[in-house]
Amino acid sequence: MLSPKSSPLGQQLSQYVCLRITRMDNVDIGLFEHDRNNAIYFYMLNADEQIYMRYGGRDSASPDTYLNLESLELAARQGLELHRQYMDGKLAKFARPPAAFPRQIPMLVERTFAQNQCVECHLIADYQNQHREQDGTLDKLRHLYRSPDIKTIGIHLDVPRGLAVKEAAGAAVAAGLKAGDVISAVDGRAVWTFADLQHNYDKVDRRAKQVRITVLREGKAVDLTFDLPQRWWWTDLRFRQASVDPRLYFEDKPLTDAQRTELQLPAGGLASEVKYVAEFARTMKSHALEVGDIIVAVDGVERDEFAHTAELYLKLKKTPGDSARLTVLRNGKRLEMDLKTFRMSFRK
Amino acid sequence: MKFTALLSLAACAALTAQDDGLNWVGDYQQALAESRKTGKPIFLEFRCEA
Repeated sequence: MLSPKSSPLGQQLSQYVCLRITRMDNVDIGLFEHDRNNAIYFYMLNADEQIYMRYGGRDSASPDTYLNLESLELAARQGLELHRQYMDGKLAKFARPPAAFPRQIPMLVERTFAQNQCVECHLIADYQNQHREQDGTLDKLRHLYRSPDIKTIGIHLDVPRGLAVKEAAGAAVAAGLKAGDVISAVDGRAVWTFADLQHNYDKVDRRAKQVRITVLREGKAVDLTFDLPQRWWWTDLRFRQASVDPRLYFEDKPLTDAQRTELQLPAGGLASEVKYVAEFARTMKSHALEVGDIIVAVDGVERDEFAHTAELYLKLKKTPGDSARLTVLRNGKRLEMDLKTFRMSFRK
Repeated sequence: MKFTALLSLAACAALTAQDDGLNWVGDYQQALAESRKTGKPIFLEFRCEA
């Protein structure tokens, strides 16, 4: 049993009205907005629908990385304290976001509601993105690459202790983050849990060069400015069910500086080495790439502001079903080939 | 045991229902009303049905 009433977590939860929602049909997804590729997610809120905090979140490696009974108990305890403050009039109210409901998503109505199927959380996000794709409002850096990984900027949490920092690395060290710090805000927005942190970090403009993270250190709030590295927003998409992510049937890796020099290719370009080709590439007549091929250009483009490999460039620039012209080096010879992308499908 | 595995076990127990001694409700409006009546905050769990 997860949380018997007599357990430390159960004792906290017994001071709440416990609500479990397993169907999204009538949920206000404007108010309860989170990365839908989480199979489980929690909110602490009150009768005025003021959300105190969230709990949940994941990284690409595992749905469990940031889920922990101790940190959930800590969050439940903090939620009760915030509730006391709210009831005493000491907590500022936030403006309720505009309401939105799954039945306002036409593809969801047509393909899921109409067939009396379960409105799975990931379908909400996927259909929203497909509509954005049709409307021309899809920003893949934001909508596809959701929930950037805080480890990319060197934040490693002591997970059972919530937002206590276990180790700082890379950009976090440069910003002055130290083990033992407790993260308390992102760009001025208070955070109590990893889910709060991830949700607010996700709001950072993908073109931003810096983010301000506040920590509590020896009882005092300290503002730290992180310089964001290139592609700080990038995450491995393979766990996601996102049909706006074009299926390419290959994977690549960026060339090393030594390889670029040897091949006389420009630094900072998107030249990459093919490291995997799916068997279906031939069946689907997607492309004729082979492992070891060097892709030096896509549609004649050798350099991009965001992409450092051909695969990433295609993911960012192409809509599923689009074609592209690849310039490839194979055994020292330059050749041109076509690539056709396909749409992922996660429909039942 | 991993957290989600624990949750999965709990889910098997009829979505924990009364098994954990906590009175889980499944209706959002009911939870709001109960919160208003008791003064308790709400602990809301979204999870897949499957």
